[in-house]
Amino acid sequence: MARDNKNEDFVGPIRRLLVGLFVLLFLAVFVVWRIDSPRVERFRAAVIDEVVPSFDWAMAPVTGMINLVSDFQSYQQLAEQNDNLRRELQQMKAWKEAALQLEQENARLLDLNKVRLDPQLTYITGVVVTDSGSPFRQSVLLNVGARDGIIDGWPTMDGIGLVGRISGVGDDTSRVILLTDTSSRIPVTIQPSGQKAILGGDNTLNPPLEFIEDPGLVRPGDRVVSSGDGGVFPGDLMVGRVALGTDRRLRVRLAADYGRLEFLRVLRAQPHDAIEDPGGLLATDPVLPPEETAAANVSDADG
Amino acid sequence: MVEMPATQVWIGRGIYVGLCFLIIFFQLLPLDSRPQVFPWPDLLLVVTLVWVARRPEYAPMLAIALIFFVTDMLFQRPPGLWAALVLILTEVIRKRSAQFRKSSVILEWMAVAGGMIALTLAYRLILIVSMTPAPPLGLSLLQLIMSVLAYPMVVTVAHFAFRVSRPAQGAVDSLGHRL
Repeated sequence: MARDNKNEDFVGPIRRLLVGLFVLLFLAVFVVWRIDSPRVERFRAAVIDEVVPSFDWAMAPVTGMINLVSDFQSYQQLAEQNDNLRRELQQMKAWKEAALQLEQENARLLDLNKVRLDPQLTYITGVVVTDSGSPFRQSVLLNVGARDGIIDGWPTMDGIGLVGRISGVGDDTSRVILLTDTSSRIPVTIQPSGQKAILGGDNTLNPPLEFIEDPGLVRPGDRVVSSGDGGVFPGDLMVGRVALGTDRRLRVRLAADYGRLEFLRVLRAQPHDAIEDPGGLLATDPVLPPEETAAANVSDADG
Repeated sequence: MVEMPATQVWIGRGIYVGLCFLIIFFQLLPLDSRPQVFPWPDLLLVVTLVWVARRPEYAPMLAIALIFFVTDMLFQRPPGLWAALVLILTEVIRKRSAQFRKSSVILEWMAVAGGMIALTLAYRLILIVSMTPAPPLGLSLLQLIMSVLAYPMVVTVAHFAFRVSRPAQGAVDSLGHRL
């Protein structure tokens, strides 16, 4: 017991000081983050940029192995699945033919009307490196970053539907906040009624639609596409279909396959030109055209 | 027991840090990006508490501070807050760990569970006071329950797989010092 006491005397105060220092340091970081969040978030992106790629050599094979095992389990249903796929393929061929004809017709009509569409969106494809690691946050980390020209706010899709948007760019990595995250809000249009709404994530697989103008016009099964309102997000990206949740709220069944996010496309969204000046009055010109005024001035000086 | 106590302690610390890395690694694997209905227990926290309550010398304060600060960064939590609270909790439990040796396992479990509840409440309270968006209440409560339930299981695994158990009263290390 005597030894214990001596130990306490020497080590105790220093230890306590160190613990107190750490706690103060951490709380200070929290307070700084709360006051100046962008700076600390940049620091966080830099930390992740350093830490995660060093895990990558182990992460890819382990993920691959686990996926292989789960794939192997699904081989049992392979024959059945194959039949279904063949049947679906037959139907799809018919649809494809119809779609091609419609596309040509559409192009002809647009040409006739001289409609100018948004320039085609180009994209960068990234691989999902990690997910958020916490049940409270829905985000994934991509292996493309500022080096590849990624900019905050760009939308990401898997092959079919919208997945989320870039929020936080490191040098080699960037974070995608998924549509299911509680901080995700995307303006959407519901087709065919054209109702505008906000898709707000709430940490469930099917995020609810908020602020619908007239919910009576919206039916389960309607298509939901991004609307591009507010100018920060490009329009007409497929999001999913409307479904009625068990809580009687209108929710969206997302088109993207969240169960297996592997390759994501980051769309290079060109921001719209901002309209800055209010536009002059239509009748600001003087009554005389400028050349004539100049000529008049000269003649005045002469006279 | 031919090993030097120092070696043994360092091996124990190595196992603790390795285990933490493994947990972080598996949590970060991008297996399924769908939101979970039943969250996993916060294994990192439970393992740390088990180690601190049973063999505090295997879970040094410095390691805990660094691990939790890095996970704050990695897991998109408000940086620093969770780490600071966990550090305080582990120090409280570390002080009590000598008492736990004399008391029953149930009592230890209840004390640690109380610690976890206090931790979650304090975290939430500070988030609300500082007007930071807090995680959904239902989900965090569910995770708290899962973590509390996971504690005895982690204790069992730690006991049989890693030999992390409470030293018996009057136990001595290889140099004959009392533990």
